[in-house]
This record gives sequence, C-alpha cells and structure tokens, in this order.
Amino acid sequence: MKSQSYWNVVWEEFRKNRLAMAALFLIAFLVAIAIFAPIIANNKPYVYIDENRNIFFPLFIDYPQFRGIDFRSDECKGIKIFPPIPYSYSEYNLEEILMPPDRRHIMGTDEKGRDLAARMIYGTRVSLLVGFIAVAIYVTIGIIIGSIAGYYGGWVDMIISRFIEMVICFPTFFLILTILALWGPSLVSVMVVIGITGWPSVARIVRGEFFKLREFDFITASRAIGARDLSIIIRHMLPNAMAPILVTASFGVASTILIESSLSFLGLGVQPPTPSWGQILSNSNQFLDIAWWMTVIPGFAIFLTITAYNLIGEGIQEAIDPQKRRLYFAHKN
Amino acid sequence: MEGETRKMMKYVFKRIILVIPTFLVITMITYAIIRLAPGDFVTMKAGLHGELTRGALGKQFLEEERKLYGLDKPIIVGYFDWLWKFIRLDLGTSREDGRPVATRIAEALPVTLLLNIITILITYMISIPLGIINSIKPGGLFDRATSLILFILYSLPHFWVALLLLMFFSSSEYLNIFPLDGIISDWVEEADFLTKLADVAWHLVLPVITLTYGSFAFLSRYARANMLEVINQQYIIAARSKGLTFNRVVFLHAFRNSLVPLVTLMASLLPALLGGSVIVEKIFSIPGLGRLAFDAIFSRDIPVIMAITSFSAILTLGGIFIADLLYGVVDPRIRLEAKL
Repeated sequence: MKSQSYWNVVWEEFRKNRLAMAALFLIAFLVAIAIFAPIIANNKPYVYIDENRNIFFPLFIDYPQFRGIDFRSDECKGIKIFPPIPYSYSEYNLEEILMPPDRRHIMGTDEKGRDLAARMIYGTRVSLLVGFIAVAIYVTIGIIIGSIAGYYGGWVDMIISRFIEMVICFPTFFLILTILALWGPSLVSVMVVIGITGWPSVARIVRGEFFKLREFDFITASRAIGARDLSIIIRHMLPNAMAPILVTASFGVASTILIESSLSFLGLGVQPPTPSWGQILSNSNQFLDIAWWMTVIPGFAIFLTITAYNLIGEGIQEAIDPQKRRLYFAHKN
Repeated sequence: MEGETRKMMKYVFKRIILVIPTFLVITMITYAIIRLAPGDFVTMKAGLHGELTRGALGKQFLEEERKLYGLDKPIIVGYFDWLWKFIRLDLGTSREDGRPVATRIAEALPVTLLLNIITILITYMISIPLGIINSIKPGGLFDRATSLILFILYSLPHFWVALLLLMFFSSSEYLNIFPLDGIISDWVEEADFLTKLADVAWHLVLPVITLTYGSFAFLSRYARANMLEVINQQYIIAARSKGLTFNRVVFLHAFRNSLVPLVTLMASLLPALLGGSVIVEKIFSIPGLGRLAFDAIFSRDIPVIMAITSFSAILTLGGIFIADLLYGVVDPRIRLEAKL
C-alpha cells in the first residue's frame, strides 16, 4: 500500500468539502483576473487590421502612429478584436456619467463616466495584494517570534508571552487610522501597519504547537544526533505546525481585505486614480439613491472574497481536525 | 480557602504589573505617531489664513502658537507632560473648539454606550437561544442552514450593509421609512419624553442592525460550540442515565454551564464594539465616541485623540482582566496561574 503523507491526507479531506473547493476556485479565478487585468479591460484592441490589410497588435505593442487614437470610434476603420471590457480603468467620459448597467457598460459607469467593470477588475489587484502581503508579513513575524518562544521555553518564552499579551491589547484599527490620516494614506502603509500589528495570533499558535512537538521522540532524536537548533526548527518542527498557521492566515487575509476596504471607504486607502473596491463604494455614498450599481457591485465583490477566504480557512480547519467539525471564527478586534 | 485568596491576590498583582506598561506603551506610541507626523496642528491652523506662515512675523506667530499648544517641547517631554496631567485626571482642552476634553467625551460617550448596550443585549438575546437550538441536533438540517446563514452574515462588510440599508430604507428612490442620519430629529426638542424616546429608537434601528448581525453570527457559533462541549460531559450523560428528561438536562444543567464562557466574553466584547463603531457612526452621522475620534484624528486634536486612546486602552485592558477573573470565579477548575 502506498503510504500517504500528512499533506495528502489533509488535501483529500479538504477536497471533500464542496463549499471550500468552490471558494478555492473563486480565489484562483480572482487571482487570474488580477494578473490579467490589463488584457481583460483595455481600450486598445488585441488585433487591428486596417483597410490596407496591415495587421497590428495595439494592446501588446506600442505603435507611435496610433498614439491618441480611439480605436472604438467609427473613424478608425478596419477589423478590430477588443478585450471583453473595451475600456481602461482611468478613462472618463463626462457624457456618460452614472449610466446603469447595459450592453456597453456591463456594470454601469461611475460619477466621472468611467466604466465600472474595468475599475472593478483593476480593484481586484489591490484587494488580493493587500491581503497576501500584509498576511505574509505577519505570518513571517509570528513564525519567528512564536518558534523562539515555543522552542526555547523558559524565561525566553516568559518575556515573549508578556510581549504578545501587550501587542494584543493594541487598538489596531485606531492606530492604523491615525497613521494613515496623519502620515498620508497609501497602500504600502496599510500593508505594513497591518503586517506589524497582526502577528500575535500566529505567534501564539506556533508557540502552542512547538510546545506539543518539543516532547516528541523525533525531536529528541534530532537533538541527540547533534542537529542545530535552527535546522530542527525549520526542518522538523515548522512543517508540523504549518496547517494551523494556514488556517489563521486564511482568516487573516479575509479580515485584512475587510480592513483595507474599510480604510479605502473612509478615503484612507489606495489613492486615485488607482481603483479599489472600497474606494468605489466610498464614491457611491453620494449617489446612493440614484446609482445602486455603484453600491451593490463592489460591496458584493468584497463580501464574496471575504466569504471565500473564510470558507477556505474553515475547510483547512476541518481537514486537519475532522473530529471537531465546528466553525472556527477568527475573533474580530 | 486562605490559599485561594492569596493566589488570587498574587494573580491580580501580576496582572497589574503587566497592565501598566502596556498602557504606557500604547499611549506613548500613539503620541509619538501624532507628533512625528509631517505638519502639525499649528501649521494646519495657520494654513487657513495663508500669509500667516510667511516672513518673520509668520515665523513668530508659528512659534508662539506652538508654545501655546506645547508643540515646542521634545516628544518625550510632551508625552510626560500629558501623562502627568492624565494621572491627575486633567484631560486638557480640545483644540477644535477650546472646550474641556472631558466635556466632549461626556457628550459623546452616552450615545455610543446606548448604541452598544442595545447591540449587546440584542446579540445575546438572539444568539444564545439559537446556539442552544442548534446544539440539540448538531448536523441536522436546521443546524446546517443556520450555520450557512450565520457564516454569510459574518462575512458581510459592515459599511456595505450600512449603505445598503440606507439605500433601501431611507432614500426617496426606494422605501423611505427610517431617518438618514443623526440620533434625534430637530422637531422633538419640544415634545414630551415618550415622543423623544420613540424618535431616538427610530433613529437607532438601522445602526443597531448594522452593529448586531456580525457579532451574533460569531456569538451563536460560540454558544453552540460551548453547549456541544458541555453536553458531551460525563455529568450530563450521568444525569440522562439517571432518568432526567431531555429538556430538564438541556435547559437546567447543560445551559447553565455553557453560559460561563459567554458571560466572560461580554467583558471583552464591549471594547471591541467601541472600536467597531467608528465606521457605523461615520456613515449614520451619529455624534458618538467613534465619530469624535475620527474627527479628532483629522483635525490633529492631540488631547482628544490621546483621551480616547487611553479610554479604549483602559477598557480593553480592564475587559481582559475582568474576563480572566470571572473565569476563575465561575469555574474554579480553571487555575489562575495556568493562565499566566
């Protein structure tokens, strides 16, 4: 019989959870949208064949003779193959402001006549990026601090634990608000501040797992054959503590996306012209009763993404601990 | 018993030793962030009058204004000045309107407290029964359906829900049922008490819904998990095999014991809600503590920001402290030193 590795078992369990798998596909889909945003929403055609049968690829190659030309206008004759959304995120058309969704603008337009679908597609980048990077920062910090505390124990652990308890008491959202309002809003500061305040939950988990693992024979054996501390931590202990870290990371991405969109909503996130979902929502505030699409669409996108990450987190949680089939929520601060 | 009291005292002492530096670090970092930020309150104020910042006269003006607000001192000195005043309960005056910070907080606090107490009450009233019903038949159709609904509710962003509620229930385009903002209408100034009460309640419906749904999703999952844990305990099985009815066991024995973590959770829920109401108060224009904090940050009103930060820090630290103590009181099996 083929022996299964731990990760195979977890993956098999995870795959049985249909909702979690659907969520995983949704995230993969969003990642694809974020990566390919410029070729999904662009006002230049993929292929342009003019009247003299010359073939051009305006989206991929910059032709000097076409600069400033609107390929969509009737003056530009020939065969044109456009991306699914033939608008760029920043081009505005004051003759088409606040248009409801129709065949030309599938998600309508905003208060400057910009195509909402194009802005939503580019906004995906911000949400996913903020989630990934901020969580990557705090998972890294959390792993380092947590493994030191959990591996060495004793007074090192005592000091680190007190420090963790201190940071947990920080009014994180208020702190982020202050920093962004006074130092100027930017995507980088959002990520960094979330990154350096979010690590205690990860550190606690890593510490707890290491405490359990320390007692196992294979760790004692590694020590006995003279393996260095760092190599024991990285090669033997960390892989065994990875699953619960993944659970926290997944919930963490969800709450980071929520924080970023709240900040953008307050005007403290990404700055224009770069679009983000929270920012579109924030603009919609003034047009609540005349432009439902500006409220419903970005909000729904945020909601779907957060739900997907929460479902993935719960899926992993159940996969690594099938006996305890209960929902686990990351506690909101 | 003697030993228990001593242990408790020792625990309280250890906690306080940790609480004080935490408070100092939080306030110190906040103060440093405000002071280190580019530009200050004085240049902002002078900016309104343009020419005041230029020339020798402008320079003199800036210097004198800075002196007036204590911005000429180094950050460390400024912080300890603030701390020394704070210890003597002097919160200073707000730079926005020159009124004492304590007055401004005293105005805003009841609004936020009212909002949050109603929210917590409703949350508990819905989520505890829901959690119990779900735990009776875990994995049943009702349990799975509510699980999914609660999960969805949990993932709904607050500010989006607030906007949707405003869009559908207080706009001329759809249903115009609830007021758009504020907590009281202008015309009720003269009215009798009952009318006033009804008016405030009317204003609070949408904000309370926004604040409630997310936390009851969290709480009923928690109540369910606790209930399941209690139901599987030996003493419940013993009570059942002794011949007690199912209802009696569930509602008398299991329910009471499952309440323990829920009560202690309340201690840590309040500070979290205070922080969470910034956005809700902003959207619904409610003149509460969250709104005050938000405005203070943008106008660089250091005394107000510092007062609210220390207030919420004390609430959070106190909440955690009380929760830990309650754990020990209601469930003597939890040893305090195990938590330290």
